[in-house]
Amino acid sequence: MNQTRKEPIKNGKLWIVFGVLFAMITPWYFPESFGEILIYGIPLWAVIIIIGSMLLSAFLSYVLKYHWMLEEEKEEAEQKGAK
Amino acid sequence: MELAFAGWSGILILLMYGLIMLGVGLVTYLRNRNIHQSLDEYYLGGRGLGVMVLFFTFFATQYSGNTVIGYPPSAYRMGYEYLVSVPFFIMIIVAYLLFAPRLYKLGKKYRLITPVQWFEKRFKSKNITILAAILMLYALGNYLLEQLVAIGQGVSGLTGGTIPYQIGVIFFVVIMLIYGWLGGMRSVAYTDTMQGIALLFGIFMLLIGSIIYFGGLPTSADYMQAYSPEKLGVPDGPGVVNWLSLLVLVGIGAAVYPHAIQRIFAAKSERTLKRSFSRMAWMPFFTAGVVFIIGIIGINAFPGLSTAESEQLVGMMASAVANQNVIFYWAMVLLFGGVIAAIVSTADSVLLTFSSIISNDLYGTYINPKATEHKKLLVGKLAGVVAVCILILVAWFPPATLYQIFVLKFELLIQIAPALILGLYWNRLHNKAVFAGMVTGTVVASVMTFVNFTPFGIFSGLWGLLINLAICVIGSMVMSVSVGEEDEAKQVIGM
Repeated sequence: MNQTRKEPIKNGKLWIVFGVLFAMITPWYFPESFGEILIYGIPLWAVIIIIGSMLLSAFLSYVLKYHWMLEEEKEEAEQKGAK
Repeated sequence: MELAFAGWSGILILLMYGLIMLGVGLVTYLRNRNIHQSLDEYYLGGRGLGVMVLFFTFFATQYSGNTVIGYPPSAYRMGYEYLVSVPFFIMIIVAYLLFAPRLYKLGKKYRLITPVQWFEKRFKSKNITILAAILMLYALGNYLLEQLVAIGQGVSGLTGGTIPYQIGVIFFVVIMLIYGWLGGMRSVAYTDTMQGIALLFGIFMLLIGSIIYFGGLPTSADYMQAYSPEKLGVPDGPGVVNWLSLLVLVGIGAAVYPHAIQRIFAAKSERTLKRSFSRMAWMPFFTAGVVFIIGIIGINAFPGLSTAESEQLVGMMASAVANQNVIFYWAMVLLFGGVIAAIVSTADSVLLTFSSIISNDLYGTYINPKATEHKKLLVGKLAGVVAVCILILVAWFPPATLYQIFVLKFELLIQIAPALILGLYWNRLHNKAVFAGMVTGTVVASVMTFVNFTPFGIFSGLWGLLINLAICVIGSMVMSVSVGEEDEAKQVIGM
């Protein structure tokens, strides 16, 4: 039962990716000129933050689905048993 | 808030909302009459909330009316720097990854009903448990007060003053108390679903209307380039620090909201919880993102507003959009009904958790441990009514320092995070260090907030949290726990 037990906090690699994405969604690394370049009315730096935020959401969905597995198998086995 | 379209149509929508909410409460009550005998059933909906309901109750609890009414003015004043409101909502879900998987498992194992119970179970210390309960009750009470004031303002704005502030508060509070009392968590979660849908519909209609009527982002960018280029610019040094602080403060602070934690316990299964979180991870784009764009469009639509005037921005834009045609008219009436529904949905969740902490953790654990579940529930419900009455009185005669009391909510609540999160993983966490950290963090954060001292632009709550964390960790290393205590902690965590 415990073979596939996964807990996101124990997986260091995931947190490295979260760290990179966190750095990406903080506007510390943009040159001034990124405020002047507009893409459909949105400054370039903000576009990059939005892309970074979407990557963060996508990565979160991936982690939630594949790297969090503490009770699921047990619960599903119980459910099947109950049926 | 002045709304040109408001008046009788607003009253009609509000009455309809009120009736539907009462109906939901009544149906839930009739279907589950046994819920008034069990804390589990009443406060957690029998731990049976499925993906959709769980998702919407998380959603409606997290995004309050303030997201719709308060965020566009901030975007209006700060420009693109306020884009931080999108990632900070995503950070809340990242913060959940730190503790939700384990807390869900332990919640199920020990039949936990409130987050305070986890502190009791893990530390077995009256001091820590009571302090954590007080911090949570303070934050919840504060949050509830905010919602009550917002309900009054919203109702009087939407009905063009026909329904005065006070009547608005009383009307919705009574409705909220009735359906909460009747159906507990189930009523709250079902009404949250309805309220969440109304809110989403309303803000999308306002976005569409604003784009058609005022022009989209390019038009607004042209205006900003000509008159206020700083609103398009990359945030400067202090702006980046503020951005970072918000990501951390809101991420952790909102994740440890007691009413949000209680929803972790209410999930039907791990899979349900994971799926709800996964959906929540995308919601910032559809809510905070949409209201941010509305605020940015407002820069061009209503230029040159003072800070106080800009607070009315959403009302002004909605009024203008409503004047376009009958579809937008009713959509805007619905939007403001939805805003009030969102406020009520946040308030009801907060009230339920407030009552559960009083009935389960204070009354049931320390005052009358032998009480039946029915009696504990009754005490919780009555305490909720008393709390609401007191808060209504405060909202009626707001003290001069109300603003500072509001501000202190996150700053204090976040001080429970080290004990809550570290306690889940670290067997050697020392009780005395945890208590000292929590007390010091609370005092530091409060004093710094009151004297308005924020070195390097970092919020006082974060300074408190840093000191709290340092005391917790260093203290636990210095005062080593006994082998017996460590074994006990290992057993409680059991992983």
